[in-house]
Amino acid sequence: MDDIITLAHGSGGKEMQELINSFNFFKSSWKNTFNDSATYDIGKGKQLVFTTDSFTVDPVFFPGGNIGHLAFCGTVNDLCVMGALPLGLSLSLVIEEGFLKKELDKIINSIKKLSKEYSIPIATGDTKVMGKGKIDKIVINTSGVGVIDKKDLLTKKVEIGDKIILSGGLGEHAVSLLSKRFDYETDIVTDSKPLVKEIIDVKQLIKTAKDATRGGISAVLNDISAKNRVGMIIYEEDIPAKNQVVKITEMLGINLYELACEGRFVCIADEKTAGEVVKKLKKFNNSAAIIGKVVSGDKVIVQTYLGKRILNVPTGRIVPRIC
Amino acid sequence: MRNKKFIDTHIRKIKTLSEKINKNITLMEICGGHTTVIMKYGIREILPDNVSLISGPGCPVCVSSQKDIDCVIELAKNNIPVATYGDMLRVPGTRDNLEKIKAESGNVFEVYSTTEVISLKNKYPDIVFFGVGFETTAPMTAYLLKKKICVYSVHKIIPPAMKILISGNVKIDGFINPGHVSTIIGVKEYKEIEFPQVISGFTPEQIIRGVSMLLELISKNENKVVNGYREVVRNKGNEKAKRLLNEMFSVEDSEWRGLGNIADSGLEVADNGLNAKIKYDKIISSVPEPKKTACRCGDVLKGLIEPGDCPLYRKVCTPENPKGACMVSKEGSCAIYYEYGK
Repeated sequence: MDDIITLAHGSGGKEMQELINSFNFFKSSWKNTFNDSATYDIGKGKQLVFTTDSFTVDPVFFPGGNIGHLAFCGTVNDLCVMGALPLGLSLSLVIEEGFLKKELDKIINSIKKLSKEYSIPIATGDTKVMGKGKIDKIVINTSGVGVIDKKDLLTKKVEIGDKIILSGGLGEHAVSLLSKRFDYETDIVTDSKPLVKEIIDVKQLIKTAKDATRGGISAVLNDISAKNRVGMIIYEEDIPAKNQVVKITEMLGINLYELACEGRFVCIADEKTAGEVVKKLKKFNNSAAIIGKVVSGDKVIVQTYLGKRILNVPTGRIVPRIC
Repeated sequence: MRNKKFIDTHIRKIKTLSEKINKNITLMEICGGHTTVIMKYGIREILPDNVSLISGPGCPVCVSSQKDIDCVIELAKNNIPVATYGDMLRVPGTRDNLEKIKAESGNVFEVYSTTEVISLKNKYPDIVFFGVGFETTAPMTAYLLKKKICVYSVHKIIPPAMKILISGNVKIDGFINPGHVSTIIGVKEYKEIEFPQVISGFTPEQIIRGVSMLLELISKNENKVVNGYREVVRNKGNEKAKRLLNEMFSVEDSEWRGLGNIADSGLEVADNGLNAKIKYDKIISSVPEPKKTACRCGDVLKGLIEPGDCPLYRKVCTPENPKGACMVSKEGSCAIYYEYGK
């Protein structure tokens, strides 16, 4: 059935991975090309860090944010989790004919506000308009660059006994979109935010980090497990999630661990420093917690309050497209 | 309700009863929603060795016949707009699935609620709703019929299938009856099935309590139904929904994947003018009977084998490339085993 592209190919699960692997571009001096950002050795122990991301979301405005907010945070966070500070972003807009100017203004103002607050300039950009019905409202692409000392790259080897830390409650971004789409009344707003300050505070104490966007912590933990050839065990009762988030996911029959966050990351730290990492992260989000540990093996196991189960890489379309 | 103490009490009770019964006991959970919770919380591993839980046919996507899927694909290929629930899009037909036709033609619409079909009708007056599900979702389809929307119905009703399972090749000692279906049909209809049954809710606590209630019935040789989901299941069920079903559907024989044709087990659109099978008879009659494949969904649905016993499971049949319906739906046994199992 793979002779055409379906929505499953863009859902951050196995199908997307297989599609990307099939592209098979020629090998270059760029490293970490399958990571959140790629890196390039520019000499004197420095690495250039580069990433790009396109954003399409329905609805464009949702509780606590909009597509512009996401587009800024998404790319910034992909640089941050490598340990890099973003130097600047590009911003490309593809807009549907007939899109309201005042809505575009709101989107741009969100980006401007974040750009100023975090001192991350929009260095370059592009704007295209497509005919009515040729594109769904608006698609935004952002790319970002940063520079980092090679020794500070957050791609250090994960070892058995290390602790797994989550920076805040799961699923809030996805549930904010779902509540808007299904007309549920909730207090949940998106978790979308730049992770710059959090990462600055803990980067010397952690080995690796990944922001839990598409595919949620299921995708992230399985990725870290596979790259480092280790197993993991996470304790369901220690995983932070707001009650409303849990209930809505149960009601819709979707897996909380597969839901996208836009301002949460998973990081791995040595047993000795993990407590300090959580303490620092709690200043930003009181729900930050150690959720599990690295063990031998090759699977990610969830220990529930009853029995155990395996947490697999998400497949198929995880939820309605939300980021 | 996360209540370890409650669970411990019932697990102790289950242990005592299973020792008292002192033989292998097989309980079937009819509903895929129950299977999900059982696998998600690893409930099987905390039950005594002689008590096993097997999954039943309670995944509507899974029991829909291949022929029906092929027919709806044929409608969409003939430029008739089709709307249905997301899970149906990925069920493999003989050659294509609806997801592919959606990507190719734009004639297929994924909906989360039947009310979305009403808005689609404004833009696509000929829209056909591919109605799937048991007594739980059928009332919503009945509502669409009231709104004069054309329907291709593969809706099915559960009690006739339970009767077939009892007389089948699989030794079953008791049923965990589906919670959501029971909110509609109530308790009464199960009474005709003289067999140990407990209606259960969907928390791990409710399921474990259901197992202990079921063992109690079995130990006393009591062939009756107990309502273990009194929070939402009434004796007479949801009378308004039942009236709507009676008004818009007629009960007819229906083809179940795996179980074959079961008498009086399907809900067919009563109004011929709104029945897509009649309205588009010319297109549908050209669809050939599907060929038999190595897929053993049928045996999985009957409880004859576990997903891992199928030669295709995990080898060529995976959630991203499902060969059989049970691997498609999040409520399908194979997909649930794949997601939560080894």
